Amino acid sequence: MSVADAIASFSASLPRVLPEVVLAASSCVTLLLGLFLKKNKSAVLAIFSIAVFLVAIGLLVATWPQQPVSLFAGMFRADDFSAFFRLLFLTGGALTICIALQKESSTEYYLFIQAVVAGACWLAMSMHFVAVLVSLELVSIGSYILAGFAFNKASSEGSLKYFLMGSVATACLIYGASLLYGITGTFDFSSQQLADALLQSQTGFMLIAAFLILAAILFKLTAFPFHLWAPDVYQSAPTPVVAFISVVPKLAGLVVFIKLVLAFNLFGQAPINWKSVISALALLSILVGNLSALAQTNPKRMLAYSSIAQAGFLLVGVTTLDLAGIHATMFYAVAFLLMNVLVFTALHFFEKWKSLPAFTNFSGLGRVAFVPALGLVIGLVALTGLPPTAGFTAKLFVFSALWGSWTDSGQFIVLLLFVTGLLNTIVALYFYLKIPYYLFLKATPPGTASIKITFTGNLLLLILVIAIVWLFLNPGLLMGWINRITFVL
Amino acid sequence: MPYISFLILIPIVIALVALFIPTRYKFIFSRLALAATILQLVLCVGMIVHFQPGEGLQLVERHSWISLTLNNWGRLQAEYLVALDGLSLPLVVLSVVIMLIATISSWHIAKSRKGYFILLLILNAAIIGSFCALDFLLFYVFFEFMLLPMFFLIGMWGGPRREYASVKFFLYTLLGSIFILIVMIGLYLSVQSPESTDEVVHTFNVLHMQQAKNFIAGSLLDFTGAGNWRLWAFALLFIGFAIKVPVVPFHTWLPDAHVEAPTPISVILAALLLKVGAYGILRFVYPVFPDAAIYFSDWVAGMGVVSIIYGALNALASKDLKRLIAYSSVSHMGFVLLGIASATTEGIAGAIYQMVSHGIISAMLFLIAGVVYDRTHDRLIENYSGLALKMKYYTSFTVIAFFASLGLPGFSGFIGEVLIFFGAFQSNAINNLVPLWMPVVATLGLLLGAGYYLWTLQRMFFGPFSIRANFTELTDLTAREYLMLLPLALLTLLFGILPQLLLDFINPFAATFTSTWFLFSTNATP
Repeated sequence: MSVADAIASFSASLPRVLPEVVLAASSCVTLLLGLFLKKNKSAVLAIFSIAVFLVAIGLLVATWPQQPVSLFAGMFRADDFSAFFRLLFLTGGALTICIALQKESSTEYYLFIQAVVAGACWLAMSMHFVAVLVSLELVSIGSYILAGFAFNKASSEGSLKYFLMGSVATACLIYGASLLYGITGTFDFSSQQLADALLQSQTGFMLIAAFLILAAILFKLTAFPFHLWAPDVYQSAPTPVVAFISVVPKLAGLVVFIKLVLAFNLFGQAPINWKSVISALALLSILVGNLSALAQTNPKRMLAYSSIAQAGFLLVGVTTLDLAGIHATMFYAVAFLLMNVLVFTALHFFEKWKSLPAFTNFSGLGRVAFVPALGLVIGLVALTGLPPTAGFTAKLFVFSALWGSWTDSGQFIVLLLFVTGLLNTIVALYFYLKIPYYLFLKATPPGTASIKITFTGNLLLLILVIAIVWLFLNPGLLMGWINRITFVL
Repeated sequence: MPYISFLILIPIVIALVALFIPTRYKFIFSRLALAATILQLVLCVGMIVHFQPGEGLQLVERHSWISLTLNNWGRLQAEYLVALDGLSLPLVVLSVVIMLIATISSWHIAKSRKGYFILLLILNAAIIGSFCALDFLLFYVFFEFMLLPMFFLIGMWGGPRREYASVKFFLYTLLGSIFILIVMIGLYLSVQSPESTDEVVHTFNVLHMQQAKNFIAGSLLDFTGAGNWRLWAFALLFIGFAIKVPVVPFHTWLPDAHVEAPTPISVILAALLLKVGAYGILRFVYPVFPDAAIYFSDWVAGMGVVSIIYGALNALASKDLKRLIAYSSVSHMGFVLLGIASATTEGIAGAIYQMVSHGIISAMLFLIAGVVYDRTHDRLIENYSGLALKMKYYTSFTVIAFFASLGLPGFSGFIGEVLIFFGAFQSNAINNLVPLWMPVVATLGLLLGAGYYLWTLQRMFFGPFSIRANFTELTDLTAREYLMLLPLALLTLLFGILPQLLLDFINPFAATFTSTWFLFSTNATP
């Protein structure tokens, strides 16, 4: 490709990625604002960040790619599918800022949230291993720093652990991608060349490469067996950051995972049955996450394990390796975003009030602060997957897709995943229930100071609750839209 | 007039209104709840007048709820489909009456009245909704939605071990719900709606699931499908509902929940929630899987008999009055299962009759246990003696309730049990589903029932007066307690003397149920 071609491709691609351009520009502006602002710094930055996200969402809708468009000489591709997830990431970024509106935070906090969202958006569009690597690093480095934002010993430890393990994951990705390049001669995982070469290659090499690459992605997804970093990070990082990390990088990982697995699956001609592999990963994530969560006494640590189990549920839809399953997963992703943010928003409210090292600290608080407690309960009920919440509808959709996959393939592990996954609801209920249990069933300890409940805090909770219930009552609108999204690798 | 929707919406709307009333108006919440149930009762009267017995499903309301295209496997369709027939109408009316009495019984709840009555109203809507819904998804939503209010009602207002009991209740019944969910997903993906010809529409409509021709050929739960998946599906669905009934050995949540729940909640639990389980078996399990039901019929009947005997033996050994009543519920719901398993018109009609009758009688029994507990805060049978000397009106109501429950002729319990025995004994000759020895063994349950009730009467109410609590003053029934006990006593007498009142509604349902059921199952077997 000549320089002229490259420039032409670059200038043709730029209008397609305006949201990401805006985020890049706003990151610089945020940095400058942080340097020069003296008064009300965090308030201005928060409002600025929300505005940026809203503008980016507007631009995304305006430049919505109806047809897949190859960008930057095939490194990225804008299509319906990636645009859907970019919309989720931008919304997730905006909601994260909304969680902690009143909190004093440094400039970097806003900067890195914008940067990570931008990275996630790029990641969603990546079609090339180098593009995946670069955008994944943008997501990762921002997350490592954000994880340390509580600025205490535990938080630094969590951040460092996250960083060390993340580095290993990145190394795996690089190693796997270079192996794959050696086998196929291309970095473009949607190309025919890759598929042809893989079909003819030796199974062993291909599998090593594929597993190394997926290891890095599973790390982002917090799925078994690369989930070990999550509990420490979740426990020590500030709650809005946890909400963010548990949604945006995770879903970004999911997008890449879907694309890569479809590439490796070679339309079912791969030497290894990817359906069983993903089923096993989903099954183990659900089991390990839920069973470990049972033993936790710290709410945020419990939610870390629950997030591992949720990664398993996100993978359930992917196991089908067809469009129906991916659509169900996309619905689950939306529901997951809403309910996770709801839970952490409510949790953040209680945390501002008093420290919550254990469930017992919630004792009787439900009677004093009813609305946030109710929001927390609804969020947890949604995560459990009970009606009338979007969590139930999402589970219904992914498990319906899984049933279809089972009747088609007749694989035992798929049936096992179906039954175990649904039965895990009971395990999940037991630990999720601990919080409502202490909130409402235990007596309020004497001398509990009351707290002023702000209107904006309640408003965010209310909006999320309404969204979750509305998605349950009328899933047709969202699912109808998702159903129109076609996705071809 | 959309009676059913109004019936479901009234408590929800009033609960929403109550949510915005400040907590300090303590006494308005009970009045709002009472107003809701009275309104519902008025609607019920209208419904009974409009209802034509023997005309099948009536007061049908049908609106599209979810309709989605799902790529390669057709269209998903869930509806808001509610209707009443001879099975659901008696249960809906029972629900309204019991909710009214439970509201009166809750009048003096001391703690967080606002939350209590709002939860009670939500529970009300969920119970009525699950009795009316004919769309599986809709039913499931109502079914699940009973759990959360119940969890808080037991957990916040219950007795000393309430926290343990509420968590146990929630987990056990959720396990049942998950079994139901598993089968529900399999079912709707195996069934297509006959109303659409141009594309495959996967419907949750239970009426469609009850016809063999609507199963997609080659789908997993199709009658001709390979493997015995239909048997598995039956077993899961049956256990799902059996936990709610509860059937031995899935009953262990019940004694704890009953003992720890406050009186009005025990009443609702025994009178209505257990009925939802039996209703589910009659509405979903048996009509959708008749072939498997025939296959498993002796298991179902056997579990019924075990419940009858095991429940009665446990009741006999109970030291706590409430626990005794709880176990007697297990025993009496065993009869319902025996009647269903016989699949004869008498057996089915008897099962439904027994459900209604047990609803009335168990409510009365728990109220009676509540009366003495309110006064002394002690439920141990051995701590009382000679109560009849101090509380003669209370004793008379107890005698009525005990005799009604043990199946004395003249009370509703007798009719239900006699019909069930007719059905179960006939079954051996008609369809050979229930072996003859099972109803024979079950009669032992009647004997044990007489045993534990009469023994309790003798220990607690007769003999010289003594009481181990710290005081000697015992007041007899108050006006509010009369208001609750008298209608129930009259109802059990009325249905005991004039069974035709209820059978006019139930019998046509039972007759069509059995005839179509066998038609379906014989057509279906290849």
